[in-house]
Amino acid sequence: MAESCCPELASTCDGQPICYTRVAAAPLSSRSARRDADVTTIHTNSDSVSPVVTAPAWQESPAVEVDDTWLSSSDQDRSIRHNLRVIIYDELWHYRGLMYELTRRDIRVRYKQTVLGFAWAMLLPSLIVLAGGMVRYAMAYVGGRHLGVEDLAGIAIKAVPWSFFVGSMGFATASLVGQANLVTKIYFPREVLPLAATLAQAFDACLGVVSLLIAFALVGVDYGLAALWVPVLVVCAFFLTAGLALLVSCANLFFRDVKYVVQVLLMFGIFFTPVFFEPEMFGALGARVMMVNPLAPLLEGLRLSVVMDHNLLDPLVVQGRHGVVLAWSPWYLAYSATCAIVALLAGLLLFHRGESKFAEYV
Amino acid sequence: MTGLIEFQHVWKKFRRGEFHNSLRDMVPALASKLLGRQRHDTVEPREFWAVQDVSFSVRPGQALGIIGPNGAGKSTILKLLTRILRPTKGRCGIRGRVGTLIEIAAGFHQDLTGAENIFLQGCIMGMTRKEITARFDDIIAFSELAEFINTPVKRYSSGMNARLGFAIAAHMSPDVLIVDEVLAVGDWRFQRKAFDRIGEMVRGGLPVVIVSHQLDRIASLCTHCLLLDRGRVVKRGHPDECISEYVANAIEVQDPSAAGLPFRVSAVEIEPKGPLRSGDWLTVRLRGEVLASAGPDTRLGVRVRSLQTAQVVFGLDLTAREPGLLEPGSFDATVELQLNTGRGYFSIETPIWNIRERRELGQGPQAVTSVDVAAFNGGTNLHARVRVEMRPAPEDRELWSA
Repeated sequence: MAESCCPELASTCDGQPICYTRVAAAPLSSRSARRDADVTTIHTNSDSVSPVVTAPAWQESPAVEVDDTWLSSSDQDRSIRHNLRVIIYDELWHYRGLMYELTRRDIRVRYKQTVLGFAWAMLLPSLIVLAGGMVRYAMAYVGGRHLGVEDLAGIAIKAVPWSFFVGSMGFATASLVGQANLVTKIYFPREVLPLAATLAQAFDACLGVVSLLIAFALVGVDYGLAALWVPVLVVCAFFLTAGLALLVSCANLFFRDVKYVVQVLLMFGIFFTPVFFEPEMFGALGARVMMVNPLAPLLEGLRLSVVMDHNLLDPLVVQGRHGVVLAWSPWYLAYSATCAIVALLAGLLLFHRGESKFAEYV
Repeated sequence: MTGLIEFQHVWKKFRRGEFHNSLRDMVPALASKLLGRQRHDTVEPREFWAVQDVSFSVRPGQALGIIGPNGAGKSTILKLLTRILRPTKGRCGIRGRVGTLIEIAAGFHQDLTGAENIFLQGCIMGMTRKEITARFDDIIAFSELAEFINTPVKRYSSGMNARLGFAIAAHMSPDVLIVDEVLAVGDWRFQRKAFDRIGEMVRGGLPVVIVSHQLDRIASLCTHCLLLDRGRVVKRGHPDECISEYVANAIEVQDPSAAGLPFRVSAVEIEPKGPLRSGDWLTVRLRGEVLASAGPDTRLGVRVRSLQTAQVVFGLDLTAREPGLLEPGSFDATVELQLNTGRGYFSIETPIWNIRERRELGQGPQAVTSVDVAAFNGGTNLHARVRVEMRPAPEDRELWSA
C-alpha cells in the first residue's frame, strides 16, 4: 500500500478562489481510490485543463436542486393543511413503528419488577368503583332509595375511561421533560412521546374493559343494540385525551409548573365530571352545566348505551324530584365529538409549532 | 435516494444564562412576542451567535470533517443538520435517511433487556421494525453481547452499553452518515472494530460529516475539512491543512517579553509541506531572536509530538548543539529530522525551558506534518542534523540590556 499525496493548496476562508490540486500515485488502495474521486481542480482563470470531477464541499453555490423543500429554515409557518399533511403523513405515519415501540416500552416498563403486575391496571378503576359505590350508597341512604346493580355498573363503566384520562394526562405531562435526553439528542417527531404515553394507557384501559365484561357477565348486565355506540364514544374519548396530552406535554416543556396545575385539576376533576353520579341529579340547569365538560357526554353516553340500552340519537327525559330533566340529547354527543376533534387538531398543530424550540427550552 | 447534505449561510443564536420558565413568566413572554417581532439579525445582550454564516455542502463520496476547539459550534451544526435545532437564519438540511453515530445509547431504557432495547433504539434512530428483525442477529453478533442480550441494560457496564448502541447504529443503511465523537467506544479492540466499520460506511460512497477531536481519525476518514472557531469558519480545505492550522493555533503563542521568555521564535517552517513517508527527512527552519534574558540555564529545543497520543516522540536541545544560542542576537536554525515513525500526525514544537528550575517556560510557534505510509524506510531512531547561524544583536539592544 503506497500512496503519496502532495496537495498544493491555496484557499481562502470565504471559499472564493480556490486552487486545489492533488496528485495520487498508483497503486491505489481503496482509500486513495476514494480520495481520487474528489480530485478537484478549480482555477480562477477558466482555461484550466483538468476537469472538475466533483464540487468541493465548501462550494458556495450548490448544484442546482429543483426540489429543496427538505431544507429547514427559520420561517417554517406554512398553511394549516400543509402542516397537517406533514404531521400525519411524514411524521406520525412514517414513525408508526417508533410509536409502537415506545408504547410497548411504556407498557413493559410499567409491569417489570412490580408486585401487582397486570392487576395494577385494574387498581385505579377498582378504587374509583369502590369510592363511587360508597358515595352512591350514602346518597341512596339519605334519599331513602335502594342502590341498584345498574348504578354500580354505571360507575364501573365510567371509571375505566376516567382512569384512562387521568393516567394519560399524568404520563403525557412528563413525557417530554422526562425524556429530555432523547429530545435534545436524537431527531424524531416528538409527537410520538405523549401519544405513546396515551397509547400505553389505552392498553391498560383495554385490560379494564376485559375485566369489566367479565364482571358484567357475572352480575348479569344485558347489552342491547345501543352498545354499538361504544366505538364512537371510545374514539372521541381517545381523540380528546390525545389532543390534551399533546397540549399539556408541550406546555409543561416550556413552563414547568403546568405539571402541578394538571395534578391539581386531575385530583378534583372527578367532582366536576359525572363519574360517581349522573348529571340529572343536579336538576335541569345543573345537568346542562355538567355537560359543558366535554368528557361528561362521553362518559354518560357509555353508561346510557351499555347499561341502560339507550339509543344515543334519542333524547332522554327523566322525571326528577323537582321536575323534568333532560338527561341526554344527541347534541351533547355532537358537542363532545367537536371538542375532541378540535382538541386533537389544536394539539397537533400547536405541538408542531413549538417542536423546533423543544431542544433549546427543555 | 441519493443523500445530500446542505448548509447554506446558517446562523444560530443562543441565550446565555437561565430562562424563566414558569407559568408566571408566560404573560410577559407572550406580550413581548405580540408587541415586537423577534429580530433575527441582532443579538440582545444575553444572546450570542453559536454559528455564524456557515455554509457547506457534502455530496456522495465526500466526507467532511469538522474540527475546532470546544465551543466552536461543531455539535450545534450537527444538531442543526439533524433537525433537532432550527437555524435562526439560513437554510440547512439533509436529504435521505440519516444515520447518526451520535449519542448511540441515548434511547436505551434501563429496565428493558438488550434485545428489547435493540428494537427501541433502532426505531428511535429511524429503522423500521422489519429491518431490525432482519438485522437482529447481526447486531447481536457485532456487539458481542449474545450471552447478555436478555439481561436488562441497567446491569450492563458502560462499555457494553456503548457496544450495543454502536452495533445498532452501525446496522442502519443510511443515505447520509453523521458521526460525532463516538469513535471511542468500548475497549481497544472494539474501538478498532468500530473505527473500521465507520471507515467501511464512509468508503461506501455516502455523504458523511464527522465531528471529532481525534484529529488522526479525521485525517484518515475525511476528504474535506472545516476548521471552526467561535461559530465561524476559520479555514476550509484539505484535512491536513486544517489540522495543521488548528494545532498550530491551539497553543497560544505568548509574547516572549511579557511572559519573560528568553527566546522569541518568529517562524517555524517545514519542508516538504505535504505528507511524508516514514523515514523521510523533514527540514525544519526556525527563525528568531535570543533575548537578553537568556542565560546558561535556558534552553530552546525542537520536539516532535504525536497528535494521536499527545506524547513527545522526539526531543532535541538546540542550545546544547549550538552554545551561541545563549548570546543575544537573531538566529536561523535548520534542523533536519529523519522521521522514522509510524503513520500519523506530528506537531513540530519549539519548547523553551529552564533546566535548573526543571520547568517549561513556554512555547514558540509550531508546525504540523504527517507521515502517511507506515512503510519503514530504514533508520533506528529519529535522526537530526542541526545547523544554526547566529547574527549578533544590533548595538542598541546590547546597550539596552546592559
